[in-house]
Amino acid sequence: MRFALDDQPVDYLDGDSIAVAVVRAGQHPQHGGALCLAGDCGNCSADVAGVPFTRTCLTPARPGLRVRRHPAVGGPPLRLDPPKNPVASPAQTSVQVHRRHVDIAVIGAGRSGTAAAASARAAGHDVMVLDSESGFEVVGVYPGPIVVVRTPEHMLHVHAHEVVIATGAADVHPVCEGNMLRGIVTWGAADILRERSVDLGRTVTVDLTELARFDGIDGQVTAVVFTDGRSTPCDTAIVTSATRAPRDLLARMVSDPGVSVVGPAAERYDLPPCPTDGIVCPCSKVTVGDLQMVWDKGFTHLELVKRAALCGTGTCQGGVCMPHLRAFVTEKSGAPAAPFTGRPASRQLTIAEAAADVFLDPFRRTALHDEHLKLGAQMDRFGGWWRPWNYGDFMREYWAVREGVSLGDVSTLGKMIVSGPDVVEALERLYPTTIADIRPGRSRYVLLLNERGHLIDDGMVCRESDDRFVLTFTSGGASFAEAWVRDWIETWGLNVRIMDRTISLGAINVTGPLAGELLRRVGVPESPKFLQHRHADVAGVACHIMRLSFTGEASFELHHPVAHSAELWQTLMLAGRDLNITPHGLQALFALRLEKGHVIVGMDTELDTTPRRINMDWAVKMDKPDFIGRTALARTADLPDHRRLFGLTMDGPAPTEGAPIYVGDRIVGHVASAFMSPTVGKAIMLGWQKHSPWVDTVTVDGRTAHVTDTPFYDPQGARARI
Amino acid sequence: MIRRVPVRASERLYGLRVVATPEALDHARFAGSAGSAGSAGSAGEVTVLRIASDEVLALGAVDADVADPHAIVELETGFVGWHLTAAEFVSNVERHIEWLLPTHRPALAQGLIAGLPLKLWFDDDHDHDHDHDHDHDYVLVIASSGLAHEVVERLGVPA
Amino acid sequence: MNEFVETLLELTWHEPKSSYDVVIVGGGGHGLATAYYLATRHGITNVAVVEADYIGSGNSGRNTTIIRANYGIPESIRFYRHSQKLYSDLEQETGCWVMHATKGLIWLAHTETAMRAERARVLLNTACDAQTVLITPTEVKQLCPQIDLSGGGRYPVLGASHHLPASTARHDRVVWAYAQGAMQRGVHVLQNTQVTGLLRDGDRVVGVRTSNGDIAAGTVMSAVGGDVSQLAAHAGLRLPVRTHPLQAFVTNGYGQGFGPIISDTELLCYISQTARGQMLIGHEYDRESSFSLQSSFQFLQANAAKMSYLLPFVRDLKILRQWTGRCDVSADFSPIMGFTGVDGFVISTGWGTWGFKAIPAGGEQMAELIATGTTPELIQPFALSRFAADHAMADQGSTGTR
Repeated sequence: MRFALDDQPVDYLDGDSIAVAVVRAGQHPQHGGALCLAGDCGNCSADVAGVPFTRTCLTPARPGLRVRRHPAVGGPPLRLDPPKNPVASPAQTSVQVHRRHVDIAVIGAGRSGTAAAASARAAGHDVMVLDSESGFEVVGVYPGPIVVVRTPEHMLHVHAHEVVIATGAADVHPVCEGNMLRGIVTWGAADILRERSVDLGRTVTVDLTELARFDGIDGQVTAVVFTDGRSTPCDTAIVTSATRAPRDLLARMVSDPGVSVVGPAAERYDLPPCPTDGIVCPCSKVTVGDLQMVWDKGFTHLELVKRAALCGTGTCQGGVCMPHLRAFVTEKSGAPAAPFTGRPASRQLTIAEAAADVFLDPFRRTALHDEHLKLGAQMDRFGGWWRPWNYGDFMREYWAVREGVSLGDVSTLGKMIVSGPDVVEALERLYPTTIADIRPGRSRYVLLLNERGHLIDDGMVCRESDDRFVLTFTSGGASFAEAWVRDWIETWGLNVRIMDRTISLGAINVTGPLAGELLRRVGVPESPKFLQHRHADVAGVACHIMRLSFTGEASFELHHPVAHSAELWQTLMLAGRDLNITPHGLQALFALRLEKGHVIVGMDTELDTTPRRINMDWAVKMDKPDFIGRTALARTADLPDHRRLFGLTMDGPAPTEGAPIYVGDRIVGHVASAFMSPTVGKAIMLGWQKHSPWVDTVTVDGRTAHVTDTPFYDPQGARARI
Repeated sequence: MIRRVPVRASERLYGLRVVATPEALDHARFAGSAGSAGSAGSAGEVTVLRIASDEVLALGAVDADVADPHAIVELETGFVGWHLTAAEFVSNVERHIEWLLPTHRPALAQGLIAGLPLKLWFDDDHDHDHDHDHDHDYVLVIASSGLAHEVVERLGVPA
Repeated sequence: MNEFVETLLELTWHEPKSSYDVVIVGGGGHGLATAYYLATRHGITNVAVVEADYIGSGNSGRNTTIIRANYGIPESIRFYRHSQKLYSDLEQETGCWVMHATKGLIWLAHTETAMRAERARVLLNTACDAQTVLITPTEVKQLCPQIDLSGGGRYPVLGASHHLPASTARHDRVVWAYAQGAMQRGVHVLQNTQVTGLLRDGDRVVGVRTSNGDIAAGTVMSAVGGDVSQLAAHAGLRLPVRTHPLQAFVTNGYGQGFGPIISDTELLCYISQTARGQMLIGHEYDRESSFSLQSSFQFLQANAAKMSYLLPFVRDLKILRQWTGRCDVSADFSPIMGFTGVDGFVISTGWGTWGFKAIPAGGEQMAELIATGTTPELIQPFALSRFAADHAMADQGSTGTR
């Protein structure tokens, strides 16, 4: 059986790891360096089947496998090939995740791990033992605790009440002149190679404390030189050490009360002698001379040495260099040096392995999604929903609203029913507007403020009866608002029932001067008056009809069970066919409301927008005893204020939204929204002036713009009341 | 009780959603309609899901008797469901679940699955214990209808 | 030797004294830069920088090293643009190789709303001398051939803003460059010295209490990251600051092949290739506030997935190391610099995810403030008093990726 190493065939025996087979073939998986064959160093890592930095000692040889050495200098090339199937969702990658819930996960099946598992089992616990020898390679332990494991087939996430780290201790690598030659192995690696019947040729065993250097020819070790001057020729040098380094990286990377360390992994150990020559960090090719140089330049702290020389920042995360680096700093400073920080991951995982079975935020569709697609809508995501941006020609949609009748899908609005003996009290505290005097069947526009008196949302309050209301919120603010309302009402301890209806109800806005005519055609002979609302069947669908106006024309929002959205939409479209009914998307809606001077929270407002900054003090009743934000508004009412949103007009096309507003050379603010209004005959804008004194004439896009009262269109609001 | 004939594609779930005091919900009674039952159950059958201490989703219900004068009782059509056999559940859903599933029956479980907020209803009307019955409905997977397309894409269930 | 071993810099340590004109708490970039500019611009060298651990051990050594000025309000753009210019001259001024490399920053937009925000950003940046242009998907592909413009079928690229002067520098070396410059001029840097309290004389702060004894000071400046709320509490100040974990990770080092910095305005993550060839991936700070430095698996999962949608080639890269810093986020997402209302105590905080890029300007301006006793015009908008005045420097564009 064969695999390919740098395109040359390598024979292997059943059960060989790649590294063992490569050594058997008289070669080295890299260009040299001591091998431990236990996963502790990075000296055997190579590109395996297109994935560089794979530890070949832990990867079983397979027929036909393609293994490539990393370049001797520099990193392996960044593979930039396009994906094989560019449209496949990354969530559908081939890496699967399995999950296990256990009482206790024991990492390591050596003596301490086996003992820990046995006593846990004896105590009646559900125990899982994870050891790379049996195919469970632990790549990280995270708070939870969660143990992230790679198996030959899949990733495994083990959720455990307790994690016992029993990873034992590792052979200490030699650091001396010649330590990057081929043919150097640790004691443990020699054991593995002999067990696999690999011919090691002439061997010499040397203890770390007696090792002076390795001699070699053409990159291959030829002799071991001892500290007493002896030189013994060999084909394989075997390095032993009385001291072994605890494998404690997993323990150092996590801080969780459920994680403990046992056995040699938890033990103190004697540091090896301070190194004097050779490569101390094979991953980053750092020499002992490098350490000495940065130390001499004042980097006299283990972390500073590490960062200045980049020692220990490579693949093995200190697996080779940590004992030697500590020995170096301890000797130079005269004080014992603690290990550097442990950080995940221990055994490296690919980004695909980390991303396996991970799904990002979903995108919501309204029940009218397919209707919009049938009408050729260009969809856009807004506030977490797919919404029609336009249906091909947003000005045609604009005119349909201004002169005929149009439909808008407003299903995404936040909707909520609140009911209970304390409901009026709760709403009086939530909103700065007076609630108690709203009569059943009437509704009122409201702002929602935070404790700082800053605007966070707006919507409608519709009173259904003495103790029951329907609330609406903006599409983007709905989920926040739901949590906000629930949290506050619970905090106040008020007796109120809350039911969120956002996903349960569809909503269609029928708007335009012919909106009332369209409703008559579908069974609503007398539609509600402005700011009234009532329940009625529309084309056989039970609707809650709310009359308001965001577009500036007569508007009826039909809230209805979402299962009937499509049929209601189709019926309305059919009934309005001879009225040239045309649905409108967000692009037209933004233009229409701008002509009315209505702000969109989050688009025209900012993080610190108070009602007075957008000229909406009329929506705040400071004579109410309390509401969220009242204290802040009372405190800031008399402070000098330099920020104000103004209506602006100018000749020529609309400027790009966001354009700076100048007074002379000074930027005083920016254009929040802009539209070339055919009804006004000018570019209209909402724009901020943030430096007082405010002026009536400013410069936008190199042109003169004038502060203008809003609404720009139908200032008396007559058309909304038709 | 949920329908015993496996329904592979999703279906819209009809029922009532009720918010009331926990005590009132503990003793609430729900009636299905003989003639026009919600499709989640056979005629007249109602599946009561206690989705919060103060909230119930009663699939198949058309009438509710709740002893709370301020109870909110609304027709609910905002959810869709998939009836899955045990084998389908294991292959399509269970492997994406990070949290522990309930072992008692009947049981409602709610949480993120493949990044989606889903509800699982495990019925108790089986003559076996917890070993999975591969022929019969085992679980009803419930999602907001606005996320149905994501459920289809992520869990590989039919639309 | 690998080519990245530090060979030029030299640090000179001093024995501590019991009194200094200025004591700066926090031996990170901001503290050391302030000391450096006090010494070089104002001749004030009787200065100590007091560091609890080793220099650069906090956020200065944990950030993702991006230097940019493409902010959302003029006051911020001017400040960070100035910092960008100081960075450009830093190697020449200090003689240190900080690996400053101009790469350009591409902010991807996937929706019309996001495009609207990027168009606005381009206009305002341009007006404030921070070169930023709007680019098409085709141009994105030319600058970054590895990108999947369909976003894995889920996040299609509609366009982007391209901030041309954006750059990176090696974070540790910036810290050391300022440390070396300050130390050479006589500034004392005291490592392993934990500040446990502030010395008061009436209302005035007159020094610091440390684990190694009291140190008197004419002026105390807080340049602390992560623990700033606790330090300010010793001066009787309650700061409008919350501390959040900020996480990042790198892959192993690969050959160079990825030019620009790519950032995503919706997914709130970003990626660049370091001088050592590692792919460095960062994200907006964690939503929950915490002082923990623990890295989470959920973070790794989410960002591995996000990058897989945008840049499919990353899927086979091996993750080397993941880490966490702590960022102090102010109530309006902008930094807080200047006087505090407590005599003898000045502050530089609220650096959130944007402190590294501000090190030169923050240090230079705070040094001028300390030396002259007046607030330089460039940082007047960022005074602590703005919160009481309800004049926030609200810049949602300041957070890492937005």
